[in-house]
Amino acid sequence: MIEFFTSDTFQTVLAALNSGFLKTLQIFFFTLVGALPLGLVISFGSMSRFTPLRWVTRTVVWAIRGTPLVLQIIALFYVPGIQKWFTWPSGESGRMTAVCVAFIINYACYFSEIYRGGIQGVPKGQQEAGQVLGMTKSQIFFHITLLQMIKRIVPPMSNEIITLVKDTSLARVIALQEVIWMGESFMKGNSGISGLVWPLFFTAVYYLVFSGIVTMLLGKLERKLAFFQ
Amino acid sequence: MNKKLLSLALAGALGLSLTACGGGTTSQPSTNPSTQPSDAQESAAQTESDLQYVKDKGTLVVGITYFEPMDYKAEGSDEWIGFDADMAKEFAESLGVSVEFQEITWDYKVEELNSKAIDCVWNGMTLTDEVLSAMGTSNPYCTNYQVLVYSSDKAADFEGLTSLEGLNVAVESGSAGEDAAVALGATTVPVQSQANTLMEVAAGTSDAAVIDVLMAAAMTGEGTSYADLSYSLNLNDAQGLESEEYGVGFRQGSDLVDAFNSFWADEVASGSALEIATTYGLQDAVILE
Repeated sequence: MIEFFTSDTFQTVLAALNSGFLKTLQIFFFTLVGALPLGLVISFGSMSRFTPLRWVTRTVVWAIRGTPLVLQIIALFYVPGIQKWFTWPSGESGRMTAVCVAFIINYACYFSEIYRGGIQGVPKGQQEAGQVLGMTKSQIFFHITLLQMIKRIVPPMSNEIITLVKDTSLARVIALQEVIWMGESFMKGNSGISGLVWPLFFTAVYYLVFSGIVTMLLGKLERKLAFFQ
Repeated sequence: MNKKLLSLALAGALGLSLTACGGGTTSQPSTNPSTQPSDAQESAAQTESDLQYVKDKGTLVVGITYFEPMDYKAEGSDEWIGFDADMAKEFAESLGVSVEFQEITWDYKVEELNSKAIDCVWNGMTLTDEVLSAMGTSNPYCTNYQVLVYSSDKAADFEGLTSLEGLNVAVESGSAGEDAAVALGATTVPVQSQANTLMEVAAGTSDAAVIDVLMAAAMTGEGTSYADLSYSLNLNDAQGLESEEYGVGFRQGSDLVDAFNSFWADEVASGSALEIATTYGLQDAVILE
């Protein structure tokens, strides 16, 4: 058993999976950094009292949530070049950028609905109390609504974030070499090794460990925010 | 009064939010021209000269999949080698640009080309009708035929077979092997790459696989990862077809095709094409005319 873990094959596979997982992590973090704020902006749009804006935003959210992410990735990567609008930078970085843009837009739409639920779930009395105190609308939002909203949305957001950990594997459809691609590469051949299936299943360990860490951190955050009870 | 102002400001903020939302899709593109100054003229230039586009860019991006002995990595090395990979390096050098190998999903090879994610497909690509109609293709440089791969202990079942009816046959989706298997009446199991078809046979999830003879020779039998598999049966003969030929694919109407053809003629004349082919055991397959 120990021989297996010290074997050259295992080391080669591990190095390849590590390099793949690094890309998985990049997609994960770039998506969160982009989608968390963008989702809030979209949620404002879908709650707007200006009807056309509300309709446009909700249509976009419907279209993005109603179509498979894998399709959005393929379209976003290939269509601009085919239509001669622009070309993505060549090589790995172009693929990574396209994937991140697709993920950010997709996840921002999901987040926006969670934000909307959180904001609308704050009792109206809270805002009225703010008005009575003579606060402006933005003061009310940032000092009263926002914090209570964040408390409410942590559990549903955790759900989406855990899903995101695993959704990153969709990036392989445009040949971005994330961890599943690297795992699969040993089936067809990589670094002189071919016909190995276990690296593919071994990638599960990476996902499990990482989503375990994320779950722990989000649980900690939830407890930290439990101060009104 | 104050309330009206507020709602106006809010509407303004929401308006901004909408543009920000749209910006999400377009901001990426708009940064692009600044990183690639040549992009602005590129759409116009494409119809003029693909060759110039590659030269301006300074890199030839070669779309490949893992395919021994054409494009593969030796054990413990991170460098792409193989007959196609080595020739691609020479070709890039002759153009005065650097070479970059990009693994692609084979099904998307045409889209990869047209969206300029890659500049050529150079991966033991059989010149099928689909390929000829969708790409600008070079003169053929290598001959090939499709073979049936099966597990050695069932070899007796496959002797002298003229039809594949009733068999589950793994094929690479969109490959010439798929066409051959379908033509011979097999129930096909399309998978992502030729190498994955071998996995199917080894795992017993498919009865047999149809792949290129060059790959079958390199990846099955004694001393390979698939020692229990063997191959026989020239499926091109079985269908009464000519042997297939490999070519390099470029964008349709690209002047890189001419550049490649004259490059190849030089390589053949100087003998280095044969030399590199011999390195990878392809001396019988390479076309030297």
